[in-house]
Amino acid sequence: MDEKPKLAEQKPGLTYPITEQRDFGGSGASARQGQYPLSARLRAGDRAAAAELVDAYYEPIYLFMRRLGHDRHASEDLTQEVFFGAWHHIGQLKDDKALNGWLYRIAANVSRLYWRRHKHNEVVGIEQIDLPAGSEAGPEKAGHQEQLELVRAAVAKLPVKLRETIVLHYMQQLTIAEAAEIAGIRQGTFKSRLNRALRSLKESVA
Amino acid sequence: MEDKKVHELLTELGRRLTEPVRPGLGEEIKQRIPHRLSRHKIGWDTVNIIIDLRLSKSVAAAAIIIAMILLLNLFGGRGSSVRGLVQDSVLLVKYWGREDISAVRSKYEYLLHRGEDVKWYGDSIDTKDSRAVLMQQRLPDGRYVITFVDGGEKEVDSQELLDLLGRMLQGKAG
Repeated sequence: MDEKPKLAEQKPGLTYPITEQRDFGGSGASARQGQYPLSARLRAGDRAAAAELVDAYYEPIYLFMRRLGHDRHASEDLTQEVFFGAWHHIGQLKDDKALNGWLYRIAANVSRLYWRRHKHNEVVGIEQIDLPAGSEAGPEKAGHQEQLELVRAAVAKLPVKLRETIVLHYMQQLTIAEAAEIAGIRQGTFKSRLNRALRSLKESVA
Repeated sequence: MEDKKVHELLTELGRRLTEPVRPGLGEEIKQRIPHRLSRHKIGWDTVNIIIDLRLSKSVAAAAIIIAMILLLNLFGGRGSSVRGLVQDSVLLVKYWGREDISAVRSKYEYLLHRGEDVKWYGDSIDTKDSRAVLMQQRLPDGRYVITFVDGGEKEVDSQELLDLLGRMLQGKAG
């Protein structure tokens, strides 16, 4: 029977797979290193751990940027910048549970800084992502697809701050507390922005 | 449209809004991991790793860094020439113990590679001065983002930049 490859033990709240480590010397040294959480190895300045972090997160961060409305080129650049920020602020990383929030907080800051610097460019790159068709059939499918397109267009037109709340809470599937932390605002402020965003969306698609 | 429906559509949108990421992006990011990651206090995590590896701290650090440099240069780093290796070694020695500067330097090289209008002042400033300007990046609107030695960033106009650079030069002359 084929054995499924084992994933390394993950702590609760850890939302990325821990990749298998290479053992260059065959001495089992990497296996020993694997005993240490990724965050600890990052704090210790381990470059292999940094590469693991990139492997686990570059795609989600890129998609996060795309969902926030950046075009492809900008999203790639901003993904690079997120990791520059991560290398610079590695000392602030507490533990593996905080890893996800820490990296997305950097990503949200990088995105906000970009919008501030390129106000004239506040484009709706989200429109450029292909929306694959769902599994529904017939007229229902067409109607549903149309509704999705409407909502997507409405999200793309939202002001950056409101769009960010929608992306964090609905598209990245984060709780209000997590999303507020990443956005760098209080939960109450986040909820209020989210309500404004939803109101605006409903008006747009009504 | 009902609230519930909007919530459902948004959740579905999040699931469907996806696209393949350009192959090679991850590798590009990995190639720009600085030689020394940012400042950290050597704590029990490091000590435990070193004890487990049964290597002295300096030997372990030297082995890891040399191996990384060699690998970087051999497998598609910033150039597989001896010159590239020498350049990396010089940078490594120069910014040894200054992880913050090393991280900004990596960013500078990346921005330069991307064709941005950037200038590096790290070679001519007093790096002990945490508010000395390490790098400047010209933005499309004519303003500048400057990065200080302590890693802080500030957006300034050309006049402010001149003032800052002037003050820095005066400090050096004084």
